[in-house]
Amino acid sequence: MSTIDHYINDIVLRGAAEAREEGSAATEAHHLLLAIAAVEGTAAHRVLTAAGFGRQAIRDALDREFEHSLNAVGVSLAAYDLPKPFRDPTDHPKPGASARLALERGFAAAKGKKDLRPAHLLLGVLSADVGTVPRALALAGLDRAGLMDRVEETLARESW
Amino acid sequence: MPAQDAPVPQDPADALAAVAALRRLADQIEDAAVEQAMRAGWGWPEVAEALGVTRQAVHKKHAKRLIAAGVTLRRRQ
Repeated sequence: MSTIDHYINDIVLRGAAEAREEGSAATEAHHLLLAIAAVEGTAAHRVLTAAGFGRQAIRDALDREFEHSLNAVGVSLAAYDLPKPFRDPTDHPKPGASARLALERGFAAAKGKKDLRPAHLLLGVLSADVGTVPRALALAGLDRAGLMDRVEETLARESW
Repeated sequence: MPAQDAPVPQDPADALAAVAALRRLADQIEDAAVEQAMRAGWGWPEVAEALGVTRQAVHKKHAKRLIAAGVTLRRRQ
């Protein structure tokens, strides 16, 4: 496997772990974003960190989006205080619709397999106009279009 | 919260996001509630009937996780 294959595999596995921890039946795009932010040594990681959007900041923004969306229909997350269910560490939630779309968009952003780099995957996740990721970014006050511009700039000058 | 106090999202994006968030919350509550019931000695038929789903569905969704959690499960009836 090539370096990018290993990277994609790592992101999908880490994304699945994030999904499992959340109790999600599928790995979604926001789980891939958490995974991309957790793997150091890539331009994608550097752009996110420079924007003040490291893994923990993303997790916080996603939690706010969840609460905000529930509040919109009068549901308060604080009203539910059930015990935390056990998560089976051998469970690997498969990529769901939003994750598959993010990966497809990321692949499409590259000029072929040889050009494909981690930043393309980040572009794929960020390019969704609707859904959890753009809502979480907007609630966190982050300029998604500006972030995508910075990712594209790094693609022009950084090899990984 | 009484129904008459519940806000109605005017923006379709907010309404759709609320649907996604409610599904996620329902899944989280289901995981916790099924685990709680099985730890309390409930059987698959009772849990399935309480959730309004088939025994096969609830078993398929939760059995592996609960076995890994060390919960003593009653035999499927």
